[in-house]
Amino acid sequence: MKISVNWLKEYIPVTHTVEEMADKISLTGIESGPVSLGEKLSGLVVGHITSVKPHPDSDHLKVCMVDVGESEDIQIVCGAPNAAADQYVIVALHGAHLPDGTKIKRGKLRGQESNGMICGLDEVGVPEKYMPEEFENGIYVFDEPQKPGVAVYDLLGLKDQMIDIDITPNRADTLGMRGAAWEIGATYDEKPVFKKPELDATKVKDMNDVTVDVEEKDLVPDYLIRELKDITVGKSPLWMQRRLWNQDIRPVNSVIDAANYVMIEYGQPIQAYDLDKLQDKKLVVKFAKDGDKFKIADEEKTLTHDDLIIASGNEIVGLAGVDNGSIAAVDENTKNVLLESGVFNSTSVRKTAQRHDLRGDDSTRFEKGVDNGAVDEALVRATQLVDESSNASEISNVITGNLTKAEPTIIKGKISHINHLMGLQLTTDEIVKILDRLGFTVDVSDDDIVVTIPTRRWDMAIEADLVEEVNRIYGYENLPNTLPAGMETRGGYSAKREFSNKLRNVLLGEGLDEVINYSLLSKQEVEDFNVIKTEYTKLLHPMTEDHEYLRNSLIPGLVRNIAYNQARKNDDLGIFEQARIFDRPTGQDRPNEVEYISGAVSGNVLNASWNTEDKAADFYYVKGIVDELLSFTNADAKFEYEATDEYDNMHPGQTAKILANGQVIGFVGKLHPNYQSDHSVADTFVFELNIDMMFDLNSKNVQAQSAPKYPSISRDLAILVEKDIENGQIVTDIFENGGKYLQDVKIFDVYQGKNIKPNHKSLGYHLEFLNPNDTLTDDEVEKAFSLVKNSLIQKFNVEIR
Amino acid sequence: MSLNDTLKNLRENGIDEAKRAERLQELNDLRVNLLGKKGPITKALRGMKDVPAEERPEIGTLANNVKKDIQEAIEEKMSELNKKLVAKKLEEEKIDVTLPATKQTQGTRHILNQTIEDIEQFFIGLGYEVAGGYEVEEDHYNFERLNIPKDHPARDMQDTFYLSDELLMRTQTSAQEGRDMEAHDFSKGPLKMISPGVVYRRDDDDATHSHQFHQIEGLVVDKNISMADLKGTLDALCRHVFGPDREIRFRPSYFPFTEPSVEVDVSCFNCGGEGCRICKYTGWIEVLGAGLTHPNVLKMSGIDPNEYSGMAFGLGPERFAMLKYGVTDIRDFYLNDVRFLEQFKGVN
Repeated sequence: MKISVNWLKEYIPVTHTVEEMADKISLTGIESGPVSLGEKLSGLVVGHITSVKPHPDSDHLKVCMVDVGESEDIQIVCGAPNAAADQYVIVALHGAHLPDGTKIKRGKLRGQESNGMICGLDEVGVPEKYMPEEFENGIYVFDEPQKPGVAVYDLLGLKDQMIDIDITPNRADTLGMRGAAWEIGATYDEKPVFKKPELDATKVKDMNDVTVDVEEKDLVPDYLIRELKDITVGKSPLWMQRRLWNQDIRPVNSVIDAANYVMIEYGQPIQAYDLDKLQDKKLVVKFAKDGDKFKIADEEKTLTHDDLIIASGNEIVGLAGVDNGSIAAVDENTKNVLLESGVFNSTSVRKTAQRHDLRGDDSTRFEKGVDNGAVDEALVRATQLVDESSNASEISNVITGNLTKAEPTIIKGKISHINHLMGLQLTTDEIVKILDRLGFTVDVSDDDIVVTIPTRRWDMAIEADLVEEVNRIYGYENLPNTLPAGMETRGGYSAKREFSNKLRNVLLGEGLDEVINYSLLSKQEVEDFNVIKTEYTKLLHPMTEDHEYLRNSLIPGLVRNIAYNQARKNDDLGIFEQARIFDRPTGQDRPNEVEYISGAVSGNVLNASWNTEDKAADFYYVKGIVDELLSFTNADAKFEYEATDEYDNMHPGQTAKILANGQVIGFVGKLHPNYQSDHSVADTFVFELNIDMMFDLNSKNVQAQSAPKYPSISRDLAILVEKDIENGQIVTDIFENGGKYLQDVKIFDVYQGKNIKPNHKSLGYHLEFLNPNDTLTDDEVEKAFSLVKNSLIQKFNVEIR
Repeated sequence: MSLNDTLKNLRENGIDEAKRAERLQELNDLRVNLLGKKGPITKALRGMKDVPAEERPEIGTLANNVKKDIQEAIEEKMSELNKKLVAKKLEEEKIDVTLPATKQTQGTRHILNQTIEDIEQFFIGLGYEVAGGYEVEEDHYNFERLNIPKDHPARDMQDTFYLSDELLMRTQTSAQEGRDMEAHDFSKGPLKMISPGVVYRRDDDDATHSHQFHQIEGLVVDKNISMADLKGTLDALCRHVFGPDREIRFRPSYFPFTEPSVEVDVSCFNCGGEGCRICKYTGWIEVLGAGLTHPNVLKMSGIDPNEYSGMAFGLGPERFAMLKYGVTDIRDFYLNDVRFLEQFKGVN
């Protein structure tokens, strides 16, 4: 809301610039910015059109003589259809500046001299949608005579200084000028002074022709009506109109303008109904029935049984707190009017306004709350303003649908506790003085205070609220900087987070870049990699099909990253992500959140250069990364790879499950060629590992051993074996038979093809024997080596070469 | 010629030959030829029997000296030739050091995680524990326990991804507050924790909005926590992240789970507070929200607000990283173009 400084001056003295005020208010209360209207405007004065003649060479231009307060009238050519003699208008003189940057110059229009321009409101800075409708297609004409030559800015509010406040939802008390004056006044230690509105006592009487029935009293704690008889609807006074259009509210007529004005003044929305358009001289506040129709300007809304309405007979004349529709709208012919001031439940108003897309000034205020202590006074004020401009013959006393007594809030607190929560040592006097600036009354008894909060500050409820008020008015800039001074604590990560940090560091060391992907996937993506065989977890109201399900694998995200990069010619990629996947067992609502680490490598792992050749990623490269990762788990576990063709989107001949002590903890392999081409990625190798499972493995109990002092002895072994026998089987068997001195088995050759029996392959192994405590003899080694060979011959029918 | 003269001649010739040698092999040959068992010195010494007995020791000494002098001449020359050889080899081995390196690559940590870990390390140093938390959270912890009752506008369906009436994707890492307060044993000292993680909102993705982003929640509950403690802590954090010359300021704000509530601005690190495009000419940049834990929030976790007080703050790593490194589109963090990712190698 924009706080006009001119208006504010009616309540408190203002001595600072809007810039200074906006800064100060931002730091003590509410985020604010300065607004200075019409800064560039110049040369605009009141003109009195003394005569109008048609332009000799134009059928729409007029030649006007205008009194602008100078010794002689000036001639201005004007094209506005509504220009006429004896009008008081806005004249932009020669040299005047308009808001759009136009500079007015003396000149000739089709041969006729023109010494300025007669302006419309929009041309001098009032947005077209907020100016009175009658002037939309022409010049502005003052309702009353003005002194020619006088600057127009104050008359029309064109150079108003304002403070635009952007309230937090708890400070709707400042959505009215009076509340804003309290807040700004507290900032500058100025208490605002308000005039109490009064009605013409001779017109006020009890009337019994209208009744009000509030059915939903819980949701409508206050509902008051006043009736005004025999009014003459006209235009509202200029001072009111200019304040309204500067509030972005279009002036309409003397009744509607008065209602809007009171909303800005008090923050209390007021509605007006044409009594003669009501079906019944009775207003009923109740819930709509499903399917009820509600008419507003050019639209019809279909209501539900959750919408609170104002009904008359079987017609709906208002959507409570939101809009008063068109059926009983006040127009220039209205004679008898009902003004309504009430309080409607904030949630009900919010939901109805949202449901029907009707959020506006009224509903915003009811959503955030209004001062129920001002409902009656605001109605008096609105009645007074309507009577002043529209002259009622009779005014009714308040007709009450419901009224809840407005009680001030009492908050008890302790000076010591308030100081302690701020980290300050203010005296009781200092604290009481600050609370007094806010208009709160304080009873002090030693350390205890009892603070009485007026109803206009309905956000105040507990001692912590007092802490905030005192601290902000005292000034947060005056707070010292301290650190919590309690018992010492030991900071750090959880053991599991340390573990995952370690794994991430391994992958960074392996040259993989870390990525972060969205946790919400498409249906297709969760189906693509449901390796963990979980029930899917779906959002109730997703925004898009791309982000509908909780991820059950990190691979789809990595594949998306590879595709995105390769489409941009970043062909050679190594990436990984450490994040959660969601595993929901059947029958459980809540998915388990499991930490995973996954990686993908695509393209070359080494690029050709002047001294190296290309090396493309392959299964074994990525398996090497996994091996290194597993070794850093420090787990006392047996890790194995087991070929698998179970995973739909993985290559059936180049994929392995990763096992720890026989339990599957992840997989590694190549993406299926079809999946690769569907996703436009080159050959890509991926792995995925369950961190939680790896973390749960027992760690090794490392006891230091000196490096061996005795030399090792090695033997090479070349065998011919059937193609389907895996290296893993051979190595396991070699270790089983190689004796206690066999330290290491390395495969150095795998060959298949020319000079090798069909369906066979040749494997070469290098065996390393070492006795850490003594020099090994050739005899000992030879004995072990023969056992190894014999076993291989027996179990796998190998041919030793 | 006397034996004496023969030996002197041999010395002269030997040294001369050594000096003239051009290859190591020549020197080796010379040594074998002159000083070997079949060489002329040995041969000449066979004539010793003809030397009178009293002259023999002198001749013997001379012979030894001749051998030694020749030996030295050979060694000296060898060393000289060796030096030349090494110099030649080094010359031949010279390379162009401006040719590119054989590539060695470390991966780059994602800039968001670098930002998060920098902040984590700061708080670990101050004795804070880093807590995890659930991404799928109960309505109860995400809202109710944070003093956001059922009808509160912040709970509108359009802001939150619900999985069921009771389960949702957490909208704030503050959801962790209730769980941590419940789990903490206050007899063992204060609760000091930060909780980093992913949160979700029903937002359309654009340059400044993301349906998924990160937050770091901070919470301290003890007997003497004050607004001044909050200000001191956040002041130190902002200096750590944005530079030692930074200042912070508090502006009043509103969050349902803190009272008082403040927005925290840091003096602009680009212009130093004079006003520029980054701070929108205010000299200040809003970086986080904070406050004292609302008494209702403490009460709901079984903590007596008359005895204990708490401070809480929540900050956005995306916002911190965008400000610090001038990232203009939040989606860049999630597209993972490696050219974007790798520019942050080692920044934190």
